[in-house]
Amino acid sequence: MGLPPDHRNTNGLTRRDLLRAAAAGLVIGTGLVFVPKRYLRLPQQAQTFVAKVNDYQLDIAGTLLRGMMELGVNREEVQGKRILLKPNLVETASESPHINTHPLVLRGAIEAFLRLGAATVMVAEGPGHRRDTLAVYEESGLADVLTEDRIKFHDINYITGFELPNAGRQSTMKTLTFPALFQEVDWIVSVAKMKTHHWTGATLSMKNLFGVMPGRYYGWPKNVLHKVGIQNSILDINATLKPHFAIVDGIIGMEGDGPIMGQPKQVGVLVMGRNLPAVDATCCRIMGIDPYKVSYLERADNWLGPISDRSIEQRGETIASVQTNFELIDTIPAQQGIRLT
Amino acid sequence: MSLSLGTRGSAALLRRALPGGGFSGKARGKFQTDSTAWGILALSACGGPTELLNQSRSLLMREQLEDGRLCVDSTHPDSFWPTALAILAWQDSEPYREAQQRAIRFLLDTTGFHFPRESDGPSAHDSQLKGWPWVGETHSWVEPTATAITALRATGHGHHDRVQEAVRMVLDRQLPHGGWNYGNTLVFGKELHPMPESTGAGLAGLAGLVGRDVVLPSLSYLQDKVTRLRTPISLGWSLLGLAAWDLSPPNAEALAERCLANQGRYGEYETSALSLLILGALAADKNNHVPFLSISAHHDRMSSE
Repeated sequence: MGLPPDHRNTNGLTRRDLLRAAAAGLVIGTGLVFVPKRYLRLPQQAQTFVAKVNDYQLDIAGTLLRGMMELGVNREEVQGKRILLKPNLVETASESPHINTHPLVLRGAIEAFLRLGAATVMVAEGPGHRRDTLAVYEESGLADVLTEDRIKFHDINYITGFELPNAGRQSTMKTLTFPALFQEVDWIVSVAKMKTHHWTGATLSMKNLFGVMPGRYYGWPKNVLHKVGIQNSILDINATLKPHFAIVDGIIGMEGDGPIMGQPKQVGVLVMGRNLPAVDATCCRIMGIDPYKVSYLERADNWLGPISDRSIEQRGETIASVQTNFELIDTIPAQQGIRLT
Repeated sequence: MSLSLGTRGSAALLRRALPGGGFSGKARGKFQTDSTAWGILALSACGGPTELLNQSRSLLMREQLEDGRLCVDSTHPDSFWPTALAILAWQDSEPYREAQQRAIRFLLDTTGFHFPRESDGPSAHDSQLKGWPWVGETHSWVEPTATAITALRATGHGHHDRVQEAVRMVLDRQLPHGGWNYGNTLVFGKELHPMPESTGAGLAGLAGLVGRDVVLPSLSYLQDKVTRLRTPISLGWSLLGLAAWDLSPPNAEALAERCLANQGRYGEYETSALSLLILGALAADKNNHVPFLSISAHHDRMSSE
């Protein structure tokens, strides 16, 4: 499953980091012993790329390729690699195509990786709501695209699994069972959708990885992961799987009661990067959400990746130029008080 | 159903049969409990070879744990959802009666994670009603509960308290406008979308145990939806669910043929999906008896209890 994402330590401390260090020192100095580990972490750095793309008919492959090159993902690195793209396919409703990653974003990602010399590119998904993965594959429009492009789709809800020790250790799960197919690929790329979420505040590239856990072991919905804590599970899956790259489809996202019942939100962006917490924090800022108020991101900070704006080098468009507040619903606890101020 | 579809479906299943019995998920794959149970159900409905069927039933028995459960594999003992399928696969086969009884006992003794409903909670369903989960210590969901009801009804336990409560649970999860999904109705006040496979499973489970009037919106939903289905799990469960209520679309055979042909588009179907499609296509033809549904068996036993 390859190398962990690029989280490089750095000596550059942010004001938030200094405050944390000061607080930790104060607590230690006064003899109190309990300091959450996350307040003692060294700051990390990452890069994300934001591209303006106002329509799915535009040159998505070219845009992704430009972003990837800006992020240092080049032919030398991708040549000969087997790339697995994990979209966000949840369920379908005729009036709500914005539930799922748009198929043309997948087509663009496939073309971009192939142009960089990937040996193979495949798409794999295990929806949490529907037992019939092929129905979501068909009704989302992805089947038309992948059939035309002759790209293999894998239903990972039914693939036999292999276990890895839980590297995140946030939940009580001792091991995590991933699809055996993942042992045969070099890169796992989360190709997510930019959406609000009624249990977690936002669902982006990290939460998207719930769909890699096979339903035959985790059920429909993947209730094992809910039972041990959704936020814990997001962190455990990401810490253990160590995905390599993320692309978030924010051309049309979802606001309000996501991930299913919300309204479409035209944003006109694609966001990408090697580090998933950094990508998701950037998406949150674009959505008008404070990433430090999204529990799993706050807990991932400087562990799985940085989420501070000072620690994320922003390439492409500035956040301010594309920022648009997503509707948050004040009766949904996970969306209360998370607005970026 | 035409002989050709049954023959081709059976032939495809036989290609997944392993030397010595049992079925893999796909051709050239390894033994899988759930694939084996589904393969037995479909192949026996097609009049498949007795020796293979019994070898496969014996292999299921070998996989059974001491407490009666059958799991997706030995490293995941909590993933016991194939237990109900094994009960159906062993039905009416005397050598497996003891194994079947232990599996029944396991189901009757097992619930999932349930908790009191909060009046202002985000989910509308009654979270205390017990059905069965996919995986141990998680909540009850529609398909595993409906399948367990089907298995227990087929084996004469339709009046057991657990089954009766499970029937109430499935009814409680029926969406206000008809149909079922995996098992949530309203979340934060919004009615969620129905799904054909969950609706078919729910209808198959409830047949013979509740009146038609209480499932009419779901029957309507599925009758409207079924002709547009192209994939085997949705179509198979839908045809089974409708057949359980003596309904079938006039073009069921053509729908099944189209779905079978769609393997050219989607790739080879997983054994359980292919089996569901075969069972659904068989059930849609009233001339066929599909033991899987076993409604008549339930009625027979009810009248003799």
